[in-house]
Amino acid sequence: MALTPPPKGAMYLFDYATPPLPPGSYRIHSETDVTVDAKPHALDHDNYFDVVGPRFNLPPTDVSGVFPPRNGHGPYQDALAQVAIKRRTLPWERPIDAGAPHPIGEPGDGLGLGPDYPTPWVALLLFEEGEYSLMQGVPLENVVPKAIFQQLGSPSNILCDALEADLSLVKSIMPSKEELQLLSHVRWVNKDDRELSVEGSDGWFAIVMTNRVPSPNAKCRACLVSVEQRTDLVKADPPPSAPPPADVVVHIEEIAQRDAGFMEVQVSRLQETSQQRGSSRLTGIVPAKARLVLLHSWQFVCEGNGTFFDLMQGLDVGMIGKLALAGRPPLTDTSHLPIDLHDRGGSEETALYRGPLVPFVLARDPLGPYHSADQARRATPETGVEDISYAAAFEVGRLLAAADARLAQELMRWRRQAYRQSARLDMIAAVQIALALPPGISIPQLSYEPISPIAATGAATLLVKGSGPIADRYGMTVASRTPGLNPQNVSTAWGLTIQDANVILGVKTPGTLGIEVPPVARTPRANTTLDAVLKDQASLARLGMVRDRKIQNAAIKLGGSK
Amino acid sequence: MRSAWITSQQALQARLNTPQQIDPSAPEAEMPPYMESFLAHLRLLIGVPFDYLVPDARLLPDESIRFFYIDPSWTDRLVDGAISVGKIGSREQAHHQAQHPSVTKQLDVTTRGVRDLQRGAISFLDLRASPRAVSDPVVTGFLLRSGAVSGWAHMDVRAYNKVLPNNYDPAALPAGARQLPLLRLERLSPGVLIALFEGIPAMVVCEEPHHGIQFGVHEHNGKFSVFRRNPGAVAIGGQIDVPVRQSNPRVLALAELRRTLKKDNALAAQTGSASFAIELLNLPFRQRFAGTGGNVRYTGTGEFVYVTKVAGNVADMNLQEAVKGIFKP
Repeated sequence: MALTPPPKGAMYLFDYATPPLPPGSYRIHSETDVTVDAKPHALDHDNYFDVVGPRFNLPPTDVSGVFPPRNGHGPYQDALAQVAIKRRTLPWERPIDAGAPHPIGEPGDGLGLGPDYPTPWVALLLFEEGEYSLMQGVPLENVVPKAIFQQLGSPSNILCDALEADLSLVKSIMPSKEELQLLSHVRWVNKDDRELSVEGSDGWFAIVMTNRVPSPNAKCRACLVSVEQRTDLVKADPPPSAPPPADVVVHIEEIAQRDAGFMEVQVSRLQETSQQRGSSRLTGIVPAKARLVLLHSWQFVCEGNGTFFDLMQGLDVGMIGKLALAGRPPLTDTSHLPIDLHDRGGSEETALYRGPLVPFVLARDPLGPYHSADQARRATPETGVEDISYAAAFEVGRLLAAADARLAQELMRWRRQAYRQSARLDMIAAVQIALALPPGISIPQLSYEPISPIAATGAATLLVKGSGPIADRYGMTVASRTPGLNPQNVSTAWGLTIQDANVILGVKTPGTLGIEVPPVARTPRANTTLDAVLKDQASLARLGMVRDRKIQNAAIKLGGSK
Repeated sequence: MRSAWITSQQALQARLNTPQQIDPSAPEAEMPPYMESFLAHLRLLIGVPFDYLVPDARLLPDESIRFFYIDPSWTDRLVDGAISVGKIGSREQAHHQAQHPSVTKQLDVTTRGVRDLQRGAISFLDLRASPRAVSDPVVTGFLLRSGAVSGWAHMDVRAYNKVLPNNYDPAALPAGARQLPLLRLERLSPGVLIALFEGIPAMVVCEEPHHGIQFGVHEHNGKFSVFRRNPGAVAIGGQIDVPVRQSNPRVLALAELRRTLKKDNALAAQTGSASFAIELLNLPFRQRFAGTGGNVRYTGTGEFVYVTKVAGNVADMNLQEAVKGIFKP
């Protein structure tokens, strides 16, 4: 099964990504075993090379994203800070403890991680304002204890950034080895996803998160530190985890760091007495400090009252009109609110107002449009109290529109256009009546089509229709429609029989009034091919004859002979 | 001088007798773009002072959400008022009288595209060329006054005409088909959010914004907990208390938490930091509001659900092989 990149909106999580070759100095030893003339010629050769990776400094470009956002303000008190590193193998590139490569092993309860599970050498620690101090450009030997400096290989001339905090605090928040293993993983995200995506990234990120939850309303700094060889700080087993009252425990721990042996005997007594003694007795103790190599850090501020969950669950839910205290304000059952105002006469009046937000479906008022606010004033039928809701709506609409100079202009243009259009329509209607235009054309059609071609077409159509059939050259059909040529009229007027009138007027006698000759109908012909035409010798001969006659006629007309 | 075809008096009379002389579909019924856009915004109460929406602060106390229907007569009057600017005589009145039905009809359609206009997703002329269909004339919505508005300004708001199961996927059917069009979603002030929907919702959902996948725990009454998740990272109900260090109560005892998780067989197999991270996911929450049914007296709170999907699981043997393939040099 080939693993394809994650689909859009998805990501793959991996436990770790170890580099094929950890950083360090390497020697390539090449050796040949050549025998010439039974004499071995050993050709040995050594080459040296270094694999380098970030160690005491981390380029900011390797950090592709942090959460909570850098300098962000927000309710992060339930979030675990995390940093995304573009170099996916970075947390597993160095051993945390050179002496014991896999020091964890399978813990006694069989519930731990496997013995081959690598331990990262970086940790993300969260400090609150005042708990730490940062130092820049410190020689490495001033940061780590001497023993650890030697274990690191005593690298010379290394300047790095450092973090200094109380030793007790560092110990209380420093993850144990197994926790370090759990706090780092690799993420493969879809590159189309905006999430963490950085230009030039391949979608792979190493994620390191912290184990400390920020306090509400605290200014925090998340620090990515190197714990390479820091066996003095990173313990195999985490400190005990039962949650007793917090204030007592903190003080015990502070003293304990001063004198570990003292703690053994004093813990029980302190627990008994610290309630009465209070914390004032403990001031003046200067706690021991711990320094760590700082690779990257950023700040954020926890603020805001509660989480999204708490806020949304605490909401007071209801339809509009639901009141915390019944009768305050005194809403009517129709959700109207009585408000006091001065009427036009100056006297005090109570009117009802209801905004556009109502707790029930309302039908639309069909009596529109309203031209003034007064038109929209209503009186309630039961009490006679005035309802100014819609009048207020009208007025606020008017004020909003009047405040917008461009809208007033656009309104004027809208009207002017309509007036012009209206005048045009009236003109067309009048023209139509005056010219007796054909009724087939609708007024809206005329209103936005050029009127003169339509009028011309209409007139032409009328003329054509009135001219009768084309074969009636003398217009006799039209003439026969005159009353004097109507046999019925003639018979009535002169007291003749209809037959006599017909005879006199020559009706139905061919040739008398001319005949209506219908236009020659086109002979329907089937589609044919050129071959079929060529085979029809008789037709071709006839065509040739016609052609010859035409040529002859033309020749004669031109005065020549054939 | 030749007399006019028609006197203005006759014209006015004709307008008043037969108001709708212009077909609403005819081009001359169109309003100028700016005016149409302005009135459509007004229809969704954009720009209307807050005091007109909520005349008494007690109608929308702190930390409350109020659902409502929009009174269509009220917004019609708003538009009437806006059009009344520059209405100086009976000619303008007659004009408005004639245009009113087509204006109303046109604005009903245009309001459906106002949100796209507000977001700058479409130009007005494009919107006019491809108008949105009006699926439901009823406009509903809610006002939310809460610290959640200022803290999570970009929360997702969706409304559905059917109550969907807890773990529904908003991108897939049937949720997609059940979603009501969002007409407006805007903050009126840093702490007040207004949302308007087309149609009557049966369920409204407010979702924490998805700013990437983060890790965290749920803090309640000073105790930390995580949700139980099965191998598919789907929350299966119930929470697990997170142990903390004795020396610092805000430092989580993660190794011990992992042992607790490992003992719970319903959860993802704890193979390492990746499966452990799944349990610590701080997924966006989704607040559901359902069942108001227009009842003013409704006082129930919604319920919270949390959903996620994982693309693959490390416990899957095939996937493990594939992963090994990737990391081979």
